[in-house]
Amino acid sequence: MAKAGGTPTLEAATVEGLGADELLDLHRRMVRIRVFETEAGTLMEAGELPGFLHLYVGQEAVAAGAMATLTDADQITSTHRGHGHAVAKGAQFRPMFAELFGRLDGYCRGRGGSMHINDLSIGMLGANGIVGAGLPIAVGAAFASWYRGDGSIAMTFFGDGASNIGTFHEAANMAAVLKLPVVFVCENNGYAEFTPQARHMLLEDVADRAASYGMPSEVCDGMDAVAVKLAVARSVERARAGDGPSMVEAKTYRYYDHQGVKGLRIPYRTQEEIDAWKKRDAIELLEARAVADGVLGKDVFEKVWAQTRADAEDAIAFAKASPEPDPADVLLNVYTTEA
Amino acid sequence: MAQEVLLPKLGLTMEEGTILEWVAQAGDVVKSGDILLRLATDKVDVDVEAEGDGRFEPVAAEGATLPPGALIAWLLSGDEQAPAGPVDQVAVALLEAPAASDVGELQLMAPTATPAAAGTPHGRLLASPNAKRVARETGVELTALRGTGPGGRIVSEDVEEELARRGAAAPVPAPSVDSPSPGQFVSPLVRRQATAAGVDLTTVRGTGLSGRIRRADVEAAAAAVPAAPVAAAPAPASAASTGPRAGQVVPLTGMRGAIARNMHASLQEMAQLTHGFEAEVGALLALREQLKVEWAGTGLRVPSINDFVVRAAGHALLEHPMLNATVRDGAIHLLEQVHVGVAVAVPDGLLVPVVRDADRRTLVSIAEETRALAGAARDGTLTLPQMEGATFVVTSLGSYGVDFFTPVVNPGNTGILGVGRVRDGVRWEGDVPHRTSVLTLSLSFDHRAVDGAPAAEFLQSVSGLLARPLLLLAG
Amino acid sequence: MTATLEKGATPARTGRQLTYVKAYNEALHQVMREDEDVFVIGEDVAGYGGVFHMYDGLLTEFGPRRMIDTPISEAAIVGLGVGAASRGLRPVVDIMFMDFLAVCLDQVVNQAAKMKFMFGGDVRVPLVITVASGAGLGAGAQHSQSLEAWLAHTPGLKVAMPSSAYDAKGLMVTAVRDDNPVIMMLNKKLLGAKGDVPEEIYAIPFGQATTVREGSDVTVVALGRMAVEAAAAAEQLAGEGISVEVIDPRTVQPLDTDAIVASARKTNRVVVVHEAVTFGGLGGEIAAQITDIAFDHLDAPVMRIGAPFSPVPFSPKLENAYVPDRAAIAAGCRRILERS
Repeated sequence: MAKAGGTPTLEAATVEGLGADELLDLHRRMVRIRVFETEAGTLMEAGELPGFLHLYVGQEAVAAGAMATLTDADQITSTHRGHGHAVAKGAQFRPMFAELFGRLDGYCRGRGGSMHINDLSIGMLGANGIVGAGLPIAVGAAFASWYRGDGSIAMTFFGDGASNIGTFHEAANMAAVLKLPVVFVCENNGYAEFTPQARHMLLEDVADRAASYGMPSEVCDGMDAVAVKLAVARSVERARAGDGPSMVEAKTYRYYDHQGVKGLRIPYRTQEEIDAWKKRDAIELLEARAVADGVLGKDVFEKVWAQTRADAEDAIAFAKASPEPDPADVLLNVYTTEA
Repeated sequence: MAQEVLLPKLGLTMEEGTILEWVAQAGDVVKSGDILLRLATDKVDVDVEAEGDGRFEPVAAEGATLPPGALIAWLLSGDEQAPAGPVDQVAVALLEAPAASDVGELQLMAPTATPAAAGTPHGRLLASPNAKRVARETGVELTALRGTGPGGRIVSEDVEEELARRGAAAPVPAPSVDSPSPGQFVSPLVRRQATAAGVDLTTVRGTGLSGRIRRADVEAAAAAVPAAPVAAAPAPASAASTGPRAGQVVPLTGMRGAIARNMHASLQEMAQLTHGFEAEVGALLALREQLKVEWAGTGLRVPSINDFVVRAAGHALLEHPMLNATVRDGAIHLLEQVHVGVAVAVPDGLLVPVVRDADRRTLVSIAEETRALAGAARDGTLTLPQMEGATFVVTSLGSYGVDFFTPVVNPGNTGILGVGRVRDGVRWEGDVPHRTSVLTLSLSFDHRAVDGAPAAEFLQSVSGLLARPLLLLAG
Repeated sequence: MTATLEKGATPARTGRQLTYVKAYNEALHQVMREDEDVFVIGEDVAGYGGVFHMYDGLLTEFGPRRMIDTPISEAAIVGLGVGAASRGLRPVVDIMFMDFLAVCLDQVVNQAAKMKFMFGGDVRVPLVITVASGAGLGAGAQHSQSLEAWLAHTPGLKVAMPSSAYDAKGLMVTAVRDDNPVIMMLNKKLLGAKGDVPEEIYAIPFGQATTVREGSDVTVVALGRMAVEAAAAAEQLAGEGISVEVIDPRTVQPLDTDAIVASARKTNRVVVVHEAVTFGGLGGEIAAQITDIAFDHLDAPVMRIGAPFSPVPFSPKLENAYVPDRAAIAAGCRRILERS
């Protein structure tokens, strides 16, 4: 099993039990994240984007694997590092880039920015600028599913760092006590901002915390989209069956800094560690294994990359052309006024 | 070195004083001991003397009401200028003064820029925004009004009362073309700037929002017109002292205001009631006649009936301490000293100088003290300390032919004793009537502290002492 | 039958007497019958009926699906409300003592309040957070605060402060029907106060002040329970010949500036009174608004009466002196009217 933050110990990606369509779906979700984030990073480095940018590159397998188990009716809450979740859940490049530019055609009409991208029509209940704040909101979304009995569930993403905040514990306990259909997905990338896991908690697995709340949990390889999908699917199934919440911990790694691409350039991780994780890059692992097993050809993957890059180019051009919001409209949507 | 002239604190309870009149004029060279101004407090008017030498430069305007400690003038040496920022210093003094927060804005004068301008003080008019609006709309000239609001501020009621005074006989003049039109707003800052620059705001067209006159407008006006002499603020209308007449409006200010406040507060706060009690004073009258003969030429002063009552009350209060008390903070505080106030009628009202330690003084000492105090009260030379600290009051309407009345307890006391006229009474011995001399004592008391029976017992004590006046001569 | 009061309309008083807490409770009964999406969640709200009996009888009528007891987890309770509201339910979240908002303020201020705005308008958060506020019960510094200024300062929140049983019901109906997060501040000292409450369901629009008493000499703008104290002070001052107009804004966000300014123009003197500490309280905001709009109608600076700048003290002697009361309001009115 993987040891978060330290040296990866997983062998190779598993593909058993998944057909070509499912693999391609995972691949497409991951590539879309990678391309979006890489382009966003480039724009950021070029000084074209205002504000903060918490890039998801490296962790694509978690969002892709988890989101592949959900429908548009299922709700997710995300984190400050939320682009990957949005893209994997089906968010469009055009309004996403427009939002990063602060333009009127953005998902938040330029009011939210990187940390508040949302799309209720696809069950994306928002990224969140406050660490740990999304967990109880997901519990509330799950409550609505339970209240309506509509078969939908909720899923919340959080990091190893967030598992130290009160809302994590309150939300986990509340969901367990009320037996709500919610899946807690911990993306353990080994660092709470710049602090390694060993210095912010004494447990090796965040998943062990689930036991405190009488909640089943499992740990999976967060660089392996197939493994993530299979693990999360078991939790989703429990939720849909009315058996209450579960927790999945995915050991993964963030390639870029906490914020931005190169961040503050303060060395808190060794180059060896970064290189070791990159050797097990989620997309490369999936492509290599699928090709080796003869499930999918390299050309299929190339097409996905090319199409996605074209989508990004189009979306960036769209975003740059999108109008700026009018300061006269700043009071818009502070309150719901219409019936 | 510029010396500050501060509003003096005359007595413990003084919270504000009004500059009635500057006796010294701006630019006068004064010496220590020269009278600078006439100051009114709620109790007395006093002359304030210079405490140093120098060229006199007033900061506050006549009519201004300020707390003790407020900067009111400078004494300057040579061609020294008044230090900058007197306004701020006054504001600081105000902030530090007790209860200053509701004093609000001050009526201040900018220090005259040059000695040449001295003698034409120009003041910043202190009026509430609403008073200004009402005055603007009714064409009343605010400078002609006396402010009755906090800190002497003109409030809208002052304007309305002025309009009422003018009455139907003099129709309200339409706003003159010169006066600021309704909707012409001027900020305090701009008004000050205009005053300093000698710009008449009524001639300035506002270019700000809603026609508001902005600083730039004043600057432009100042640049266009050479600074004109600024009209002196008219002196407050001198009060006619010929007594009230029909149709006149007597403002509740000064002593009248103090009496109004105190009496209203007293009745508002206390549970007051009055006992009437007939006291035989035949022996007392006889004793007085005897003393008049015996003491003639000795210089000893024969005590008045009132003095006997003060002495008797002072003595009786020792036995009835609840009437020598004060009610505050939900408790009755019995007082250790007996200071009996003696009400003295003066032309515009009433003053109550205090006979201190009335329980320990001889009757003669009381007699001398009351005479001195009454004289000072009528001459207007009472000092504030002489009027502070009464723990009980004796008041007489006997000389006006009144028998029984209901005096009002002074705030902070629990009782007041009224003395009626001496009249013939009757004492029956069997079926035979004997003519006696009696007077009615009217004791008002605060039922919160004193019940009816103990109040009656106090009256019995006083009456008993008056019936045996030789006892009162003792000690 | 649902009645919504038009601006300035006089509510129909029927003589039916109900306590403040019962009126709130009746509002919940009626809106829960009206709308299947309304549910109540909080600590001890279902089985126990709420520590202040705000929720008596609701479990019996609506069952455990709509009346939910929770662990002591304020952040998760409010967060659950935010999540459920964002999906179209209409949660009524009970946080018991207002002071406990500090435990879950992120969910109130950063999540509930901002979600609609941050999301570009694509979400509604029809959430009611009910809290018990106010001092005077010897509850000490952590169970006695009036924190409306914190909340009214946050764009996105609405804040209601009923001062009567009638308003408790009418404002609660509006709160539940509102598509925005609403903080419903029930004053602990008023819970048992009886008042006229019509039986039918009725809604009092937010941002509509009520004139508790008409007067001509001075206006007292009084928040929450202070409206009761102000009315008593007005009665007392009437005996002194002082005519006091008492305005109760009922909601401080939105605030009925029009009504306040109209009264200021009428009386030319305004006293603002609230239980919260004076510094940084809404008295300053109200004073500033009056000065902005009606400066030329003032005969005195707007006076603020509030608590001193200390935590709420425990000792009854201290607490009584701490909380503004009718005597303090009457004294303030006399002072602002003082003429020499």
